[in-house]
Amino acid sequence: MRLAFKFATWAVFCIALLGCETKLEKPAQYARVPGVSSTEITIGSSLALEGHASYLGTQTLRGAQSYLRNVNALGGVHGRLITLQAMDDGYDPTRCLANTHRLVSSGNIFSLFGFVGTPTTVRVLPLIEEAKIPLVGAFSGANALRVPFNPYVFNIRASYYQETKAAVELLVSQMQCKRIAVFYQYDAYGFDGLMGTELALREVGLAPVARGSYVRGAVDIDEALHKIVTAQPDAVVLVGTYEPCAEFITKADALGLDAAFFNLSFVGAEELARLLPDDIKGDVLVSQVVPPPFSPQVHELMGIAEEYVRHLKELYPDDVPNAVGLEGYVNARVMVEGLRRAGRNLTRESFMKALESMGEFPLGGKASVAFTPKDHQGLEMVYYTVLEDGEFKLIDDTYLHLKRSAAVKFEEQVTQ
Amino acid sequence: MIRAKFAQLSLKNKFFFSILIVILLISGTIALLARWILISGLTQELEMRGTAIAHSVATRGTEYILENDTAHLLNVLFDEKQLHERRNLVAYIYVEGKSGKILSHTFTTPFPKRLKGVNPVTEKVEKSVQVVPFGGHEAYDIAVPIKEGIYQIGTVHVGLSKAHIDNLVGKLRAMFLGFISAVIIITFWVSHRMAKYIADPVMTLTQISDDLSRGSFTSSDLIYTDEQAGCPAFHDTDLPCWHFDEQRTGANNTGARPHRCKKCAFYNEPGDGDEVQQLTTSFRNMVWSIRLYRRRLQESESTYRSLFRSGPDPIFVVDVLTQKLVDANPRTEEVYGYTRDELVGMRYTSFGQEHAKECFEYFSNDELCAEAMRSARVVHLRKGNIPMYVNVTACFISYRTRPAIIVSTTDVTDLVEKDAQLIQASKMKSLGEMSTGVAHELNQPLNAIRMGSDFLTMVHEQGIDIPKEQYAQVVTEISTQVDRASDIINTLRSFGRKADLLLEDVNLNEPVGAVVSLLSRQFLIEDVHIVTELDPVLPYITAQHNKLQQVLLNLVINARDAIVERNEEGAGVRGRILIRTEYDAEGVSVSVEDNGTGIPDHVAQKVFEPFFTTKATGQGMGLGLAISYGIVREYDGELSIQSTVGNGTCFTVRFPRQEVAQVAN
Repeated sequence: MRLAFKFATWAVFCIALLGCETKLEKPAQYARVPGVSSTEITIGSSLALEGHASYLGTQTLRGAQSYLRNVNALGGVHGRLITLQAMDDGYDPTRCLANTHRLVSSGNIFSLFGFVGTPTTVRVLPLIEEAKIPLVGAFSGANALRVPFNPYVFNIRASYYQETKAAVELLVSQMQCKRIAVFYQYDAYGFDGLMGTELALREVGLAPVARGSYVRGAVDIDEALHKIVTAQPDAVVLVGTYEPCAEFITKADALGLDAAFFNLSFVGAEELARLLPDDIKGDVLVSQVVPPPFSPQVHELMGIAEEYVRHLKELYPDDVPNAVGLEGYVNARVMVEGLRRAGRNLTRESFMKALESMGEFPLGGKASVAFTPKDHQGLEMVYYTVLEDGEFKLIDDTYLHLKRSAAVKFEEQVTQ
Repeated sequence: MIRAKFAQLSLKNKFFFSILIVILLISGTIALLARWILISGLTQELEMRGTAIAHSVATRGTEYILENDTAHLLNVLFDEKQLHERRNLVAYIYVEGKSGKILSHTFTTPFPKRLKGVNPVTEKVEKSVQVVPFGGHEAYDIAVPIKEGIYQIGTVHVGLSKAHIDNLVGKLRAMFLGFISAVIIITFWVSHRMAKYIADPVMTLTQISDDLSRGSFTSSDLIYTDEQAGCPAFHDTDLPCWHFDEQRTGANNTGARPHRCKKCAFYNEPGDGDEVQQLTTSFRNMVWSIRLYRRRLQESESTYRSLFRSGPDPIFVVDVLTQKLVDANPRTEEVYGYTRDELVGMRYTSFGQEHAKECFEYFSNDELCAEAMRSARVVHLRKGNIPMYVNVTACFISYRTRPAIIVSTTDVTDLVEKDAQLIQASKMKSLGEMSTGVAHELNQPLNAIRMGSDFLTMVHEQGIDIPKEQYAQVVTEISTQVDRASDIINTLRSFGRKADLLLEDVNLNEPVGAVVSLLSRQFLIEDVHIVTELDPVLPYITAQHNKLQQVLLNLVINARDAIVERNEEGAGVRGRILIRTEYDAEGVSVSVEDNGTGIPDHVAQKVFEPFFTTKATGQGMGLGLAISYGIVREYDGELSIQSTVGNGTCFTVRFPRQEVAQVAN
């Protein structure tokens, strides 16, 4: 019997040999960290510096650079100066991908930073994953950047789902609007906002009474306008950029629609304010993920806004500080904090670990950024602003229309 | 060599190895086939996919190449590469320009220099596949030309990750190996169990068979001693075991199932379970039958052994072939006077030559063998050649595989002697009855002698001279008369003599003559005439002269009495007794016929019973015919009676002829 067992063992072994002949080899690892030299850290960004969304890209970039310049002036991080290599994609996903690929494949970029726009950022997600390169602080609340969890993407601003939920809450609970329409940009950003609004409405047992969309980069909004005005909504949630939204609000107003117009933060509140006429009948609201820098409560809400104003003034004296720029500025601070925490032996892995260890990074006032290995959502706050006297002002307790807290914090993770 | 080794393996291992080898061969074949078909098929399929991607890129990218729009070209490349599951398979895509310049690529690192110029294609070929190294990996580089019209404007290279393909292949391989291994292990286990299942009972049976052949019935694993207690038939042979007894009858087997106890401890119904179990069951039943047989045999043997040992009669076993005794019981020793050691090995003929001869002749005949041979009053010689009378019963048996006869003898010497005394007594009575007649008989010669002697005295006293012839005549007559008297006396003496035990060859005419000479004259007084019709050429019979005389005497006297009785009744016939001897192919007979009163049928049935008599009390003992009958039977003869009332009676005595026909002169 023992003989038989031996025989069988050998037989199995022989069969195994017949089947296998090759062994897998582990790929060798690179020793050099791309974009990091002894004196310099290069980070790359692709954003809209020209075209219809150039205001967003420019302000983000300037906000970030105003801080980076300040850091570099103080000797950089662990002896390395930080260079931000920004490329213009004109809010075009194709160009964004090409830019990103060029940045990544040059082998000279440590991390991606401050991308602007949902369709553009979403387009480069696969590339980011393949290149295993971190992306910090994209100027987009897109759900695709958050779900499913992507280990390379560190989101700082609150998501569009959070913004739309806050919008629905404000419109339905506080302003008693029942008929809500959605005006959105026909791309990933618009869909995200539409879906977020629909989800939030469904929670309170409602559905959009009308939906209208426009094509990104175009200004033909008439069809959507017609659809929405026909439905006579109490409120319209606008998921778009400042130009089409301004046009929509203007034209809707002109058509006599007396409704609240709720814009998402990406709209670019300052530009929107500039483009809108003064005599809009309804309220024009914008949700913000950072408080407006000049609002009186800003010190209390996000203290570093004051530093942003100061730093921007140093580098770009002509620019008016704004929420978009503040967001870029916050992104840069988080980036620099991550680099600091990663230490001198900087690798992409150690950098990401450092970011994930950032349990509580205070931004002054009530605001703070927190990451964990399972949660790459830094900020959770949404602020309401309302157009008043050609300027968006933070809604606070004293404001006549509302009796609710200015700051809305969503504890729960937003799910699709 | 291998075959010889295989032949030596146990059944279990044979079974096991055969199955295992077959499975291994099949598994090996499957493994090779699977590797060949699946792996090559898979690789081919993946290559085709890669080619399709390359063609797609070539089609979609042409316009961008012509416009030199690398941004859109890159988007095309990424679209193709990142499409869902493709990202794992496709390692890279890049587009070479006409001059070999890299227009666009999907690497996230600077374009590897090693890839520059590899796997070149011209517009003439459809595609080219080549394994190229990149980074730390290898890839299947599929190059497809991009054409404008018929001229090449660039090349698309799609790199399929060899690691990914190898991984897929590896998974496939592992799955197959796992499956085959599982099959082997399961088969191994199953074949092992099956081999064990078949071989174990066989080995147990072998073990039990060995035990049985060594005579050990108790150590067998198959029969549990607990169960023996459960079967009453095992302990009590009076109780039938249906199965055992009914199946034993063999020839009477009607095919019907034998009876069985409701719960039989031993006989399991065959038919449940597979062949191995059936074999085991059948074997168990066989062993149980054998055990029951043995037990019954032992019991029977001990019974008969004790019967043999303690039997009141001598019993011994004689080997037919050697004609020697092989066994004898203690009683034999007592009766025959030999010790057992002397008896065993003794020739049977030394007991009695005649009978032994008959015996062996009898049992050499196959037809007669089945029945026992009975012989009465055979003379056997005990130690010192002392004769004794025995009744012998012999039957055929097989003793230790040899043909043998078992002989049982009963000593009847005392009986025979008593018979003889009785006969003697009855003879003496007859003599007494005859004395008057004998005296008369003797008187005649005596008178003649007296007359002769008176004549001679007268001649002498008177001095008469008589002629010589006359004188001689007288003397001769005297002498004749003396002879006659002497004959009478001799006859009487021989009649009265007590017979010995030895048989002799007898001519029936002789006793007839003796009786007639003794009685004829005497009967004449009573006007009874004896007539004889004797066959002069009569075969011998084996008997005793003296006893036959007695039989005839009794018959003749009875005949006379019947005649006298008839005359007294006033019939007034002339008495006539006819004695006739004759023979045929089988026997010799003598008949005594009278013309007396005759015997009625109801009396005829009783005449041979002892103490039955028709005569007046005091005249007869009622033993004559009974004794005669006994004597005749003793010599294997028959005594028959034919009678008509008022017309006479005929007694016929018939004896078998001797085998060797000796004819008396």
